[in-house]
Amino acid sequence: MRRLQLFRTLILRPLRRDLLRTTLTILAVALGVGVVIAIDLAGDAATGSFRSSLETLVGKTDLEIVANGGVDERWMATLASLPANARFEPVIETRGMIAGVGAVTVYGVDFVARTAGREAGKPLPQNADAGAVISSGLARRAGLREGGAITVTLNDAARTFHVAGIAEAKDAEFVLLDIATAQQALNEYGKLERIDVFVSPREDFARVEREIRAALPAGYRVEKPGTRSEENQRMLRAFRWNLRVLSYISLVVGAFLIYNTIAVSVVRRRPEIGVLRALGTSRRWVFWLFLCEALMFGLAGSLAGIALGRLMAEGAVSLIAGTVNSLYVSSRPAAIALGWPAVATALIAGTAVALASALAPAREAMQVVPVEAMSRGVHEHHARTHAARNLAWAVAIASIALPVSQVGPVGGKPIAGYAATLLAIAAMACAAPAVITGLAGVTRTAARSLFGPEGMLAVRGLAASLARTSVIVAALATAIAMMASVGIMVGSFRETVIVWLNTQLRADLYVAPAARAGAGEHPALSADVPAVVSSLPGVEAVDVFHALEFEYGGQRASLGAGDSEIVRRYGRLRFLPGEDRETILRSLPGQDRVIVSEPFANKHGMRAGAVLALPLGDRVVKVTVAGIYYDYSTERGWVIFDNSTLAKYLPHQPPTNLAIYVRKEADAAQVRRAVEARLAKYRVVVAPNRALRQNAVVVFDRTFAITYALEGVAIAVAMLGAANSLLAMVLDRRREFALLRYLGAAPAQVRRMILLEAGFLGVAANVLGLALGFVLSLVLIYVINKQSFGWTIQFHPPLALLAGASLLVLVTTVVAGIFPARAAARLNPIEVIHEE
Amino acid sequence: MNPPRLEMRRASKIYQSNGQKLEALHEVSLTFEPGTITALVGRSGCGKTTLLNLAGAMDFPTSGEVLIGGHATSSLGEDELTALRRRRIGFVFQFFQLLPALTVLENVELPLLLAGTAEARETARERLQWVELGDKADSFPYQLSGGQMQRVAIARALVHQPEILIADEPTGNLDNASGDQVLALLRDAAGRFGATVLMATHSAEAAAIAGTHVKMRDGRICAVEQA
Repeated sequence: MRRLQLFRTLILRPLRRDLLRTTLTILAVALGVGVVIAIDLAGDAATGSFRSSLETLVGKTDLEIVANGGVDERWMATLASLPANARFEPVIETRGMIAGVGAVTVYGVDFVARTAGREAGKPLPQNADAGAVISSGLARRAGLREGGAITVTLNDAARTFHVAGIAEAKDAEFVLLDIATAQQALNEYGKLERIDVFVSPREDFARVEREIRAALPAGYRVEKPGTRSEENQRMLRAFRWNLRVLSYISLVVGAFLIYNTIAVSVVRRRPEIGVLRALGTSRRWVFWLFLCEALMFGLAGSLAGIALGRLMAEGAVSLIAGTVNSLYVSSRPAAIALGWPAVATALIAGTAVALASALAPAREAMQVVPVEAMSRGVHEHHARTHAARNLAWAVAIASIALPVSQVGPVGGKPIAGYAATLLAIAAMACAAPAVITGLAGVTRTAARSLFGPEGMLAVRGLAASLARTSVIVAALATAIAMMASVGIMVGSFRETVIVWLNTQLRADLYVAPAARAGAGEHPALSADVPAVVSSLPGVEAVDVFHALEFEYGGQRASLGAGDSEIVRRYGRLRFLPGEDRETILRSLPGQDRVIVSEPFANKHGMRAGAVLALPLGDRVVKVTVAGIYYDYSTERGWVIFDNSTLAKYLPHQPPTNLAIYVRKEADAAQVRRAVEARLAKYRVVVAPNRALRQNAVVVFDRTFAITYALEGVAIAVAMLGAANSLLAMVLDRRREFALLRYLGAAPAQVRRMILLEAGFLGVAANVLGLALGFVLSLVLIYVINKQSFGWTIQFHPPLALLAGASLLVLVTTVVAGIFPARAAARLNPIEVIHEE
Repeated sequence: MNPPRLEMRRASKIYQSNGQKLEALHEVSLTFEPGTITALVGRSGCGKTTLLNLAGAMDFPTSGEVLIGGHATSSLGEDELTALRRRRIGFVFQFFQLLPALTVLENVELPLLLAGTAEARETARERLQWVELGDKADSFPYQLSGGQMQRVAIARALVHQPEILIADEPTGNLDNASGDQVLALLRDAAGRFGATVLMATHSAEAAAIAGTHVKMRDGRICAVEQA
């Protein structure tokens, strides 16, 4: 009870008195925790489960048989003849577009087999083979009923089916066709996406699996269901990890603020602590008192952060889902689920950060001697004299950060890169006091000349409150560094992509099916489209491209084939240094040679000359890597053949894209109109080069929207801290401000002084933050990005953007000082001076 | 005929606290002329500090008037009061109240800087020389003794040649030798600069330099004695 009373008197009561500052601190923690939770929840929801919706209808499969380029349906007969009590179901799975709804999954299944006596799954409606069965979720969203009609764009054609039935499947949205109908609609006769295997529970599962593997050709894979889901999750791991780490920056900023708050609390209560110690309170109790204060902030902030995080997740989901769909794989976001793991994460993160931040000031508090005689002035004096020592620490830590950043990925994650980032932040924090002192010295005369006594007092005041000032500057600088480093990285990336687009996209027109919804999807063009386009006057050359998704080394990637001779003649494909473009492209036609994109090469540790064993159809083909080229279209990676080589192994692979080169003397716009007219009966998109490049940049900008949002939160947390600290400073230096009034300062002069201090805080934070941001951008570009995604990014800092952002931060810091400035000006000088 | 430099006419000050009224000063009437030193003596809580605050125009009477140069302080606006403090009034405190972040010279010149006066630095140096601390111009307050800090405070209080110098227990935190130095400076301020010095003190030595002793008790003047 006595201890609780002590806590109430020494800690709770002052916090209640300083309600505004207490609220600001809790809010800062809440924001930091909230953003961490939001990114986790939104990431889980946006990436979904990738599980097949078909499962909800037909039951859980035991095995899946898949192959790059599709499964030949002739193997159904072979499998059916195996001595095994198992059922084999053919499946086609693709994506189609429905007007007013968007992309939906379209399945082709054997209706006859599935409705004729089943062990699992729900019965399908009668007469389903005459049209389409749609899920209840889709029916609700599209306003469809049994007996109605549904039009789906599949590949480059619109197909209309009558709705033969509605299948109850919760929120899942899909269209179910009979397998033959699906094959006809897709022009994929004899080909399946996969074969689902259902093994009788009475069977020896392992034996059946062995029999199946033995019966199938080398290029075919037998997988557990969910393998593709796991591959997709693995593909997204690096992206999600990087987002997570960015979200943790806000917590780091929050940590600085908790440290500052507890440190201020200790300094203010030094006399009280001294008296308590004289009355017999142990050091350990003093230590725990202040840890409990931090714990309180951590708990309150975490609880608020959970609610805030849940709210922020709603906005974050669409941003993250957009990036996932654009760059990685098509998926439909699931509902946001705030479960106990997320709640526990929030509580642990918030309280752990608060406790860790409070350790040093709490330890300092327990060192206070009985009948405390140390004044704040001596405390600040220690901060000043230790500035040089801390600078030495900064140099030491920075020199460790450099070799750490060179360490390779651990488990595919750039752990060393993250560690180097944290070390760099720590080095900056240690250097902050020396930098502030140096800046104050350098700007002293200028501050006085430009701003008079207010300027002189502001600069001196900052340097005199070094212990506190350096913490808030470090917090602000961390947020600015995050903003600057990500800004430089994104700006560099953007510039690199734009240069790449200008070299990569050399054709005048591009044609693709309208049904393409997202990354990893390659709807086909009708077989006659290339010939139709080639025959048009004004068309010089048509590069017919074939793309498909494939699995390699447990990861998803893209396989493609084009006309390497056209690329050699018209294109400007850039290869890694030391690789000759002409030689490489000439070596491809008719040979078992490929070029691979840089991300693919980095993911699988490849160099030119390496040999890949590629499962293609029913064979495993050994191909040699002729060269590695720069590519930024997808992080999944590309393996590219010449068309002649692909035709050897996958002769019926349909075209997916056309790149059209217009004759020099022809009118490109006229040729475009001619192409659109001739292809009017197909659902295709004909895009001119410029529009495609512009669209690519728009997609690029959209993918980083979530990153900008995270930066904004980090800056907001830092601003809350700045306002909190400035308010604390006003309260602690009220005697000083009261004295100024006695000496003839007008209230406006006191206000101006605080605003100038806030401004100088912002300047110091900008100097440190931009310097750190530059260093971190190098780590981001050359270490973290490279190890996570495999891209080479050229360094192009967006100076105008950085200057604008810095100015915004400076202005916001000054704005954060408005309320404290008014509080200082309103102080009653008599009450303050005579408090003693 | 010129009005008195500082005059109080039946000035009273009543404070409200938790619904209760506390009369800190009751109908005080006093006149202060240039070049004089007046000591306010009495126990703690007798109203000395309240009287000083009224005289220094940092506070205003609940009833009655305080006039500086014939102008009632309660009739002045915020800007006029600020101007008053910048030009005509100087303050010296028991606990020195120097700004720790500024050097000694910067502390002394601060009132002139706040007022936008030209040649503030030179004037400040002269004042520092007057208090015999010219060699400490670039030192910081924490590097000085108590007596030295109070001398700097006096230099600051007189840097703008105020007509009225308010000193609240100026020797309360000093040893005898330092206190004597400070008292000598206060005497000089009245004699050389013609300042009206109003000093609250418990110290007999401090009271001894004053020409007028005002004895106070429970917010009232018990006696006014000419030394």
